[in-house]
Amino acid sequence: MNPMTLNKYQLIIMADDKQVVLERILQVTRYRGFLINGMNAEVNTGNNVATITMTVSSERPISLLVDQINKLIDIKGVKVDNSDV
Amino acid sequence: MTESKTLTGSSLLFEVLQEHGIQHVFGYPGGAIMPIYDALYDSDVKHFLCRHEQGAAFSAVGYARAAGTVGVCFATSGPGATNLITGLADALADSIPIVAITGQVPTAAMGSDAFQEIDIFGLSLACTKHSFQVTDINELEKVLYQAFEIALEGRHGPVLVDIPKDIQLAAVTQRFDKLSHLRNKVKLPLADISKALELLTHAKQPILYVGGGVGMANAIEEVRDFANKTGMPSVSTLKGLGAINPDNENYLGMLGMHGTKAANIAVQESDLLVVVGARFDDRVTGKLDEFAPNAKVIHFDIDTAEINKRRTADAAILGDLKGNLPLLTMPLEIKAWQEQLQQMKTDFAWRYDHPGDNIFAPAVLKTVSDLMPSNTCVTTDVGQHQMWAAQHMSFDDPSNFLTSGGMGTMGFGLPAAIGAQISRPHDTVIVVSGDGSIMMNIQELATIKRYQIPVKIVLIDNAKLGMVRQWQDLFFDGRLSETDLSDNPDFVMLSRAFDIKSRMINKKSEVQAAIEEMLDHDGPYLLQVKIDATENVWPLVPPNTANHKMMEGV
Ligand SMILES: Cc1ncc(C[n+]2csc(CCOP(=O)(O)OP(=O)(O)O)c2C)c(N)n1
Ligand SMILES: [Mg+2]
Repeated sequence: MNPMTLNKYQLIIMADDKQVVLERILQVTRYRGFLINGMNAEVNTGNNVATITMTVSSERPISLLVDQINKLIDIKGVKVDNSDV
Repeated sequence: MTESKTLTGSSLLFEVLQEHGIQHVFGYPGGAIMPIYDALYDSDVKHFLCRHEQGAAFSAVGYARAAGTVGVCFATSGPGATNLITGLADALADSIPIVAITGQVPTAAMGSDAFQEIDIFGLSLACTKHSFQVTDINELEKVLYQAFEIALEGRHGPVLVDIPKDIQLAAVTQRFDKLSHLRNKVKLPLADISKALELLTHAKQPILYVGGGVGMANAIEEVRDFANKTGMPSVSTLKGLGAINPDNENYLGMLGMHGTKAANIAVQESDLLVVVGARFDDRVTGKLDEFAPNAKVIHFDIDTAEINKRRTADAAILGDLKGNLPLLTMPLEIKAWQEQLQQMKTDFAWRYDHPGDNIFAPAVLKTVSDLMPSNTCVTTDVGQHQMWAAQHMSFDDPSNFLTSGGMGTMGFGLPAAIGAQISRPHDTVIVVSGDGSIMMNIQELATIKRYQIPVKIVLIDNAKLGMVRQWQDLFFDGRLSETDLSDNPDFVMLSRAFDIKSRMINKKSEVQAAIEEMLDHDGPYLLQVKIDATENVWPLVPPNTANHKMMEGV
């Protein structure tokens, strides 16, 4: 994959704040064919909500990744935000 | 014992298993799971000692699939846990609800490369539906409840619970309130019912494409009712076999790489696919761009992520098939299409005439199928024999045909049959295996011996890794690299070592009587059927080819 020619998307993910949740998201993202360009994670917050924002790129439609992340049991919701990418 | 005894994590585990109706588990002990095996000693749960953790995982899968419940397996930390992985992967690919319990080194030792420590929790991320590692004794009960719930909710799948040894030994001080809500992830039901109705009424050449989801949704009755009332011709995936009544005159059999000619041509010519609990797997579609090129798609599934994953749906109906399919069940005017396909079904029917004295495997499996009692459960291994079983045996329920579909795992058949037989003690269970596959979990003959599990093994012996040999002959210039098994052990003698009655046949004239003898025998039996090493599975859709361009035998 040439990162320059791929579509870029920003995802905002809300999850149960479990230690493993970041690993799960990273695993699914890589496996489903998306490159991670950057991420910011607020995890282990003590209030049971983790918030992860990620910029990803791929040739594949973003709905494919959104559906797969949504399937993870610890995920509360995923939003695609393309306002600034 | 009436006095209140402290409840440990281990005894709590058996309490929760019993609350979930689990009477049988499959496993193998070791250091980090000893407290659980100690609690087992006092428990009413019956444990089957398999001879490899992979066998335990597959027995749990076979148990779950044959009985439509959850299967449970145990393994110790480190190598015990890693030996489960192939079984978990298989269960993930085929959406089978199992709960795997692994022992882990004590929490204080975790992360220190302790003896038999492996990060099975990390390893599980890619091969389970979900997994847990319990580090607080008072979380254990809730986690176990969640594990069972997750295994069975929505699209089924395997769940792993890793329990450190100190948690197994710790005293529970806080019980979990079972009435409190566990988890509730409400998904918006997506249902283009009116769009689907419109597509349906305009279709002239519709096909019902049936997958493994039908049996798991418990929607066999609804799907058969749909097939009958609409009169829609139907095809099945490997995992969907049994969902449609095999006697339905508009049923064309399996589609895909080794599907029937009628099924594949019908799908290619269709103008509408009604897809129920199937996912356009590559073994089904062949070259995806050329799969059913003129068809619109109505896709019923429980998993949002399957909609539009490999083929765009013109109408998607998410959720419970049992409730949703009746909304589209109505008579259709498709007589010309039905007649055209019925003719094709007759023209391309399987033929069992075969020259010479050598045994023809498709005919053997057809005879087994004709002679086996009703409600027999058949498991298979992976290879040519598996495809012949799918093609030439008939099943009246998907829970009567257990085969490793998504993962195609050699070694599945024998342990899966053990699990199936334990979950359905009154039904006949038959394994159709190959001389390559059976060696992958041959140690499970010892499980059969110990518990006198009366499974019947039909070993299709071509002295080859036949499916790979077929591809080498067809696509690699006949360069037979590492596919010869002509020095296999003497399977009859091997069976005898495990007190399993056995017989070898190699002539057509012996087939019928040998199958009758096997089926009449009360205990376990292995029938070794020697066949020609050069037989191929036909038809075959070559890789990256449209399904109607299948190769056929001469
Ligand atoms: C665990 C595993 N390893 C390798 C394969 C690749 N494979 C698919 S079919 C096959 C040959 C199987 O031989 P056998 O069990 O004798 O069946 P046959 O095709 O001869 O009927 C192999 C090696 C596989 N499916 N699973
Ligand atoms: Mg073979």
